[in-house]
Amino acid sequence: MATDLKKPAVAGAADEQVAQSLYAKAEKIYPREVHGLYARLRVLGVLGLLGIYYITPWLRWDGHQALLLDLPARKFHIFFITLWPQDFIYLAALLIIAGLLLFFVTAIAGRIWCGYACPQTVWTEAFLWIERKVEGDRMKQQKLDAQPMNARKFRIKATKHFLWIAFAGWTGFTFVGYFTPIIELGQRLLAFDLGPWETFWVVFYGFATYGNAGWMREQVCKYMCPYARFQSAMFDNDTLIISYLPERGEPRGSRKRSADPHALGLGDCIDCTLCVQVCPTGIDIRNGLQYECIACSACIDACDDVMDKMGYEKGLITYTTENTVQGRPTHIIRPRIIVYALILSGIMGLFAYSFSTRVALGLDVIRDRNQLYRETNEGQIENVYTLKILNMDAADHSFQLKASGIPGLEIHMDLKKIAVPAGGVLELPVRLRVNEGALETRSSKVHFQLVASDSPELAAEEEARFLGPR
Amino acid sequence: MTEKQIPKMQKCIAVLWPSFMVAIVATGLFFSAFDPDDLYPFGQETEVSRLGIYSIGFLCFWLISTIAGIGTLYFAITNCMRSDADKRDC
Repeated sequence: MATDLKKPAVAGAADEQVAQSLYAKAEKIYPREVHGLYARLRVLGVLGLLGIYYITPWLRWDGHQALLLDLPARKFHIFFITLWPQDFIYLAALLIIAGLLLFFVTAIAGRIWCGYACPQTVWTEAFLWIERKVEGDRMKQQKLDAQPMNARKFRIKATKHFLWIAFAGWTGFTFVGYFTPIIELGQRLLAFDLGPWETFWVVFYGFATYGNAGWMREQVCKYMCPYARFQSAMFDNDTLIISYLPERGEPRGSRKRSADPHALGLGDCIDCTLCVQVCPTGIDIRNGLQYECIACSACIDACDDVMDKMGYEKGLITYTTENTVQGRPTHIIRPRIIVYALILSGIMGLFAYSFSTRVALGLDVIRDRNQLYRETNEGQIENVYTLKILNMDAADHSFQLKASGIPGLEIHMDLKKIAVPAGGVLELPVRLRVNEGALETRSSKVHFQLVASDSPELAAEEEARFLGPR
Repeated sequence: MTEKQIPKMQKCIAVLWPSFMVAIVATGLFFSAFDPDDLYPFGQETEVSRLGIYSIGFLCFWLISTIAGIGTLYFAITNCMRSDADKRDC
């Protein structure tokens, strides 16, 4: 989407340009290495996020893996919380909250997600770093690629791809380690004893990492990222963007450092094209806001450096808002932000409330389908049920079972004590008996109440049917 | 206008990538509701592990949504080719 906000009159032309770039065959971009404040921030973000990703599965909590989305056992361990398939709604709510948060942050601060925190950016940075270590800087890379294949080129390329694949393989292994216990996974890997599906996912995720961060890079953002396509819906004139200030920069042109630009009739832009060379998506920020821009601020760093060297004021390319560029005041608090904030805090509040009042006990009652009812030797009417008791708490519990709904209802079961270990499931056959005279209809409602002996708030109730002769 | 034709690679991505994301959602929803151990495909008990069933389920969802994606792409392109011969950029 062309978001050339400055010149709405040429929006058609801009659209055409976008269409051309979308259809064009992609050419390899060699982003030049950049140093500066924002580059340091991004390196910090990359190291932090990669660290979190690779270290988290190795953390332990209370004798189990701290974060384990244990798909084989159908239990999610998130530090002190254990989630079951029944808790699916919480995960869905978390995803909705994350989505809304992205909307909210985008409306205020633009695409800072893309520039600093998106996995695509983070892994691409890591792969670019490896590439620079092996192949050298931008110039050397371009020279190497222009050469015909020879022994030296082959050695360099092979080294790079070996390192990439090793890194990607480790990434895939770590990924699977979030879903099956990573220590055992590591032991099995060292013994060449991985299961077929574990192998498949390690290879699949590793290959995706290698392909996306090594080969596809900015094309993922341009062609595959849905967020990049609908970001313009979240943008307004008060959103933080990266912009070149044309009033200050134009007319651009090269000049000697000692020259007075005003005397030459030039703006501050010396047209060194460094901002284009450092751009990971290969755009020219001086053409205005473009949908390819992932707001990585590499061009800011590069331009500030040049401004320093020229003795000009920094900030020819800068974080700003469309309103500021136009000389109007910028409002951080505005209706859009208030609406996003209200919806977001509402859903977060609901989530926090329902999660804090979540009862870690599940009770299902299944009536024996084979017979409607049975008459005992003592002349009582008996119904048989299977109770499925799910202790979702982190501690073992024993429970007391009560049944109500018909006068004189008796519970009979073979177990003396209903004990369910932490995270365990118990299938408990239960017989309910009642004197025939107490039944008023053929089908009566009964209620099973299950309460933990040591904590009365850990309780569940379930309704069932009791069938009799009349 | 050949230079405006969508490259094959992009067509592949346009089909495979959204269907991949749909397959993840579908797999998550389906297996939250159903435990693979409770399923008897075609009335048979299977000896595949849960991880295996999840994976097969995911691949099946991906295949199905890919087929839908190919259909969408096919109709979009052929409809586009039939309309307005001058402005063909399908």
